[in-house]
This record gives sequence, C-alpha cells and structure tokens, in this order.
Amino acid sequence: MGVSTVTARTSVPVWDEQPGRRSVPLAQVLVYELRVRDAMSKPPVTAAPQDSLRSIQHLMKAHKFSGVPIVEGDRLVGLVSIEDIINALDRGHINEPAERHMTRNVVTLRDHYSLLRAVAEFERHGFGRFPVLDAGDRLVGMITRGDITTCLMHHLEKRAEEAIAHEAALVAARVADEKAERVVIRAPVRTGDYDSAGKVSQRMRQVLRERGIDPEVRRRAAVVAYEAETNIIIHSLGGEIVVTIDPDKVVIEANDVGPGIENIELAMQEGWSTAGRLPRELGFGAGMGLPNIKRCSDRLEIQSDSEHGTRLRAEIFLKRAGGAE
Amino acid sequence: MSQATMFALKPVLGALQATPLTDALPETVSGCYISDLLSDVLAHARPGVLWVTVQIHRNVVSVAAMKDIAAVLFTCGRKPDATIVAEAEEGIALLSTPLTSYEAAGRLWEAGLR
Repeated sequence: MGVSTVTARTSVPVWDEQPGRRSVPLAQVLVYELRVRDAMSKPPVTAAPQDSLRSIQHLMKAHKFSGVPIVEGDRLVGLVSIEDIINALDRGHINEPAERHMTRNVVTLRDHYSLLRAVAEFERHGFGRFPVLDAGDRLVGMITRGDITTCLMHHLEKRAEEAIAHEAALVAARVADEKAERVVIRAPVRTGDYDSAGKVSQRMRQVLRERGIDPEVRRRAAVVAYEAETNIIIHSLGGEIVVTIDPDKVVIEANDVGPGIENIELAMQEGWSTAGRLPRELGFGAGMGLPNIKRCSDRLEIQSDSEHGTRLRAEIFLKRAGGAE
Repeated sequence: MSQATMFALKPVLGALQATPLTDALPETVSGCYISDLLSDVLAHARPGVLWVTVQIHRNVVSVAAMKDIAAVLFTCGRKPDATIVAEAEEGIALLSTPLTSYEAAGRLWEAGLR
C-alpha cells in the first residue's frame, strides 16, 4: 500500500516503494500518479454559441476566468478568451454572438493525461487554461496551472498527514508492545469457592489469545492454571494464584496457607485424591489435578509443608500460532 | 483439527432427543468425549468435541472453554441454571437430553460418530 510506505523522517517527503531502493521526491511521484481529471475544475462554466460576447465578459468577471468554453450540448465548439473580449471592445462587436468571433481550433487536454504531461502542454503552448475532454470527446472540465499547483499541494499535504499518522501509529504500537510485554494476573482464591474456579484461567487465556499464542499451548496453560486454582479451592485453607505472562513463557504460581500436601509423591499419582464428598459430586477430586499440571507444564516445582503451606510454580513456554512444532 | 473427520451435529439432534439451550449450534464436532470428572476432561478431551456429561455445574462451562470444546450435552434431563447458560462463552453450545449418557453415546455411535 502506497500510504504506509511514505515516511516523514526527512523534511522532504520521500517515497520508498521498497526499503533500499532509490528515493524519488514525492512531488515528482505525484505528477506521474495524478491525472488531469484529479486537478481540473468541474463542471466547467460554459456559454452557448449564440450568447453575446458581453454576457461572456460578465461571466468572466463573475468567476475571474480568463477564458470560457463555448459548447453545443456537451461538445466543445470554441473558446472565448480575455483577448477576444478586448478585441471585441476595441472593434465594437461586444454585443455580437460568440460564434462569430470565438477561437475555433481549440487545443484541449484529455482527462486521463498525467499532470506531468499537462505541465508540458502549458509550457509548449503558453496558454493560461485548457478545456478538458474525456475519452468520448465530451467537455468535462477546465484546467489552469493554478489548478495543478493546488492539486499537488493538497495531495502533498494529504500524504504528509498520512505519513505522520502512520508514524504515530507505529510508535503507539511499539509502546503497546512494550507495555504488553509482561502481564500479571493476581487473584485471591478462597476455600470452597467452586463458583469462582476458572476466573484467573479465563483472563489468562484472553491475553494469550490476543497475543496469538498457539491454541495447544494456550490449552495447556489453561489446564495448569485451572487445576492449580481448584486445588486451592478444594484442599487448602485459602491462598493466591499469580499468573505472569511474558513474551516467551507463562509462569503460574499457586500459593496457599496450608495445610500442605502430606505426601507429594502420592499426590502426583493419577487417581489419588483426598477430596471430600462435595467437590467429588461437582466433578472435582478425580485425583488428576497434579498429574494434569505436570503433564501440561514445561517446568514444575512444588514445595509443601504443614507449616508454610504449598507453593506450586509451573512454567509453560510460549510459541505463536502457526510456528514450527 | 483439520485432519479429524468432522461430524455434522444437527442431523442427530432428533435421535438424541436433544434440546439446544444456547442459540448457536456448531455445524460439526470433531468427536465425542464422555466423562463427569473435570480433570479427566482437561486431560483427555480433544478440541472441538461434543462432551457428554451429567455435571451441570458452572465449572463445566469453564472446562469446555479451556479445552475449546464445541458443545456440551447434559444427559438424564439435567439442565444448568439460566445464569450458567448465559455465561457459556461464545462458540460453546449447550444441549440437554432426557437420555442417559450411555444411551446418548449409543445413539451417537449408531449415527456414525466414531
């Protein structure tokens, strides 16, 4: 896209189609890109062959034109210039119809010409204005050097604004990236609060999804966070879960205040559970919590004693979706 | 998931005597998993499956969301609270059937979901 490739780092706007390629001044690019139809004034103010030169003089005065195209329908048949009016005043035929004195061999430009070509035509003929015809020979506008200058200035300004906006967006994105580098989700977990299970995990998944993390990795992290959270709900006297999301890994820490895991080795065995009746009825206590956490983590540490409670720290290494397995 | 055969869910709703509880239904599921133990589902269910369970607790929805499960079929006529249905994340369909899990599984197997 052309817009995003314009940079505003230098005082003169430049066009970099590809980095490393020679830069061409933007104004030069625009005279190639822009067409006569982009710069011309339209619809043209016209007069009929039967109109008096006097009425055309008034038209010129009102619009500050130095030439008025004469048309039959949408066909250009002539042009009355300020010179024709001066001659008419001089020679006393200002009240006669335009068709008797107008210039008939009018030089025109086509609406699809580049502005570069239009500028060359102005140089070649020395005229102040050209009628503009479309591919079907219909008169569609008038163009002056002033129109070309205005059009170029307008587009230069637009491109410059776009370049500045693009630059600003890049800076904003970079700031957002830096801010997003580490997200910490911290939540207290209460004993027996089965209704809240999964809240931390849900928020973590949201962040990982926004970062485009591979779905399989996302699911593993979710399982670890959820199982760690429910372990505190089911087995502990309360605690806290802290999820730290870095660009390269998620660290899930579950800390509780006790009573500690009596036998970690046993707890790591699938099917072993000390859960009570209520959690079991709700579908918890399958004896798979810690084994699930172990299976889904890339690194796992558990410390537990009856005095300090249990501290679980699991790491999951992140990769973006679509990356190599 | 692309390598898994996708199974059209809507044609078997009649045989399952299933009532949708959520508005949107997935066109297809990648398979089926039956369990009432949340950790078991977390360990073994593949993404995109239909999960058949008698559990109607809020955590079923959480677990389904975590494992990218496409739809949950509650059996034995059980239905979760309206608030839980409302909480179901976009993309997770909830259904209920008066059949038991075993009967529902049989009908799904007969319909070709294997």
